[in-house]
Amino acid sequence: MTENKARTRGRVHAAFAEAGVTGWLHAVDIDSGAQLDAGADQPVVTASVHKLCLLVALHQQAEAGRLDLSEQTMCPPRDRTPGPTGLAAMLDDVRLSLRDAAYLMMAVSDNTAADLILERVGLDAVNHTTRCLGLTRTRAVHTFREFLTLLKEDTGPGGPEALADPRVIAGLRVLDPAATNRSTPRDMTRLLAAIWRDEACAPEHTAAMRRLLGLQVWPHRLASGFPFDDVHVAGKTGSLPTVRNEVGVVEYPDGGRYAVAVFTRASSPAAVLPPADAVIGTAARIAVDALRARRD
Amino acid sequence: MDLIRHLQCFVAVAEESHFGRAAQRLGMAQPPLSQRIQRLERELGVRLFERTSRQVTITKGGTLLLDEAREILARSEALRATARRIQEGRTGLLRAALPPDLAGDTVAAILAAFRHRHGGVELELQELTTADQLAGLASHDLDVGLIRHPCDVAGLELGPVQRHELGVLLLRDAPAARSGTVPLTALTGYDLILFPRAQAPAVHDDLLTTCARHGYTPAAVRHGQGPSFTRGLILSSRAVAFTSRDAHPAQDPDITWRPLTGAPLTLRHSAAWPRGRGDAAALAFADTVTDALAATATAGGDLPPTPLHLRPAAEYWI
Repeated sequence: MTENKARTRGRVHAAFAEAGVTGWLHAVDIDSGAQLDAGADQPVVTASVHKLCLLVALHQQAEAGRLDLSEQTMCPPRDRTPGPTGLAAMLDDVRLSLRDAAYLMMAVSDNTAADLILERVGLDAVNHTTRCLGLTRTRAVHTFREFLTLLKEDTGPGGPEALADPRVIAGLRVLDPAATNRSTPRDMTRLLAAIWRDEACAPEHTAAMRRLLGLQVWPHRLASGFPFDDVHVAGKTGSLPTVRNEVGVVEYPDGGRYAVAVFTRASSPAAVLPPADAVIGTAARIAVDALRARRD
Repeated sequence: MDLIRHLQCFVAVAEESHFGRAAQRLGMAQPPLSQRIQRLERELGVRLFERTSRQVTITKGGTLLLDEAREILARSEALRATARRIQEGRTGLLRAALPPDLAGDTVAAILAAFRHRHGGVELELQELTTADQLAGLASHDLDVGLIRHPCDVAGLELGPVQRHELGVLLLRDAPAARSGTVPLTALTGYDLILFPRAQAPAVHDDLLTTCARHGYTPAAVRHGQGPSFTRGLILSSRAVAFTSRDAHPAQDPDITWRPLTGAPLTLRHSAAWPRGRGDAAALAFADTVTDALAATATAGGDLPPTPLHLRPAAEYWI
């Protein structure tokens, strides 16, 4: 058994190396608790993966009656948190409910929508939520706007082109887990398991969260490892220069469900690096196949 | 068995000729001291002392071993002293590395200049690939290196990044060699000889991506690096290789070096050391390397300005 685990871990690391990334993975069979650890306790920067923590905090507050998910909020076009998708990319006034903002935050990683929700929920509540769920190594220290401001400051006046300079990459504070929003692969699978086992909130709320995770549009990371029409993949990505992350749950029609968290850092600062995205799916698949082989 | 500690016991008993006094001098109780001597005797297969109820005398064998034991203890103390000096940054050993295919003249220049600057530091220089250097820097088995970019620079501090333009090595009578500079598209149909990917995966992939971007996708990539191997492949099997001008011996009768049109390919280097561990010697080595490479580096900063189009899946925005 242990030898098999070591072999699987070796295959995961080999896949990371082949893709030119350093990676850390934790995979858990949500029902049996069987797990695969390939660097599960490595401190990692979460980037947009932290939107999942915010989503859980939002639903816990709704459950406690502190806010109404259908309450409307205004989002004027001026001074939006920057981003390439959703409200962040739109030009005109938008009025929408908190839960629709949550949809945009999860489906297309909308930074403006995330900060809209964070303004209502508060950073402390996000940390309270993760702490109460036993995620001892997970912490949000700034909003998405602050996060992107930090990135911009460290990148300098050269714009995204400056990222090609290794010294700029080496100096990015948002890539240092000690200085930014952070977690570990093990903490993230714990969070996912709590959502899938209805422990994070009441079932109506966890169902709503699972729905949103299943509506994420990106197919290039975790989902790419499971090209099977009868297998469902729900997840949340996170990205930064050289960083590609995704955490999610893979569900098989026989009832098997697996929480997987994969965090990677690429050697190359290239913005477009398909093998680095795909290896998240490849590594997750190696782990899930190994967990499934032990079910019998 | 902790040999040093046991030898200390042996020497103390030999010098005091008394277990009690030896134990006192060593700051330990007498029974464990006796046990250590017995253990050492078993380990060496030599009886070291004759014990009577009143006194202890060293045997002939013990006498023969005593000088050796003292010598080992002296050396052990010297080792610790050197370690303390290194810790205090006064002198010691600098473990440094350079990539395997650096031009011989550059290596010689680096060694000479470093010796001149920092004579008190012993330089242990290795030839290591970028991947091996990154592993060594991470495990602190290496103090400073010269790495190729792009690579994962997490946890490192870097010296200035220097560029070396790459040209193509090809047969002197190849059609593409007729013009002064060779466009990458003219290499279509040639195999490419390239260093093994594991040495620096991102540099390897980046070179192939840039070749493809400029119209050259090699029919096959042949992994090799040694100058003789590369020469053999170019001579016999319709293959080309990329090198910087200074790494190519100019007198080769059959093979020539040509710059690439528009200089699309570059090797990028910088000195690197673990963040927060750049002591005076490491920084001096980094400066020496940077100076030595400056002679052959391409002027004009690290990067030519090329656009970078973030796509929506990037999630961040700058």
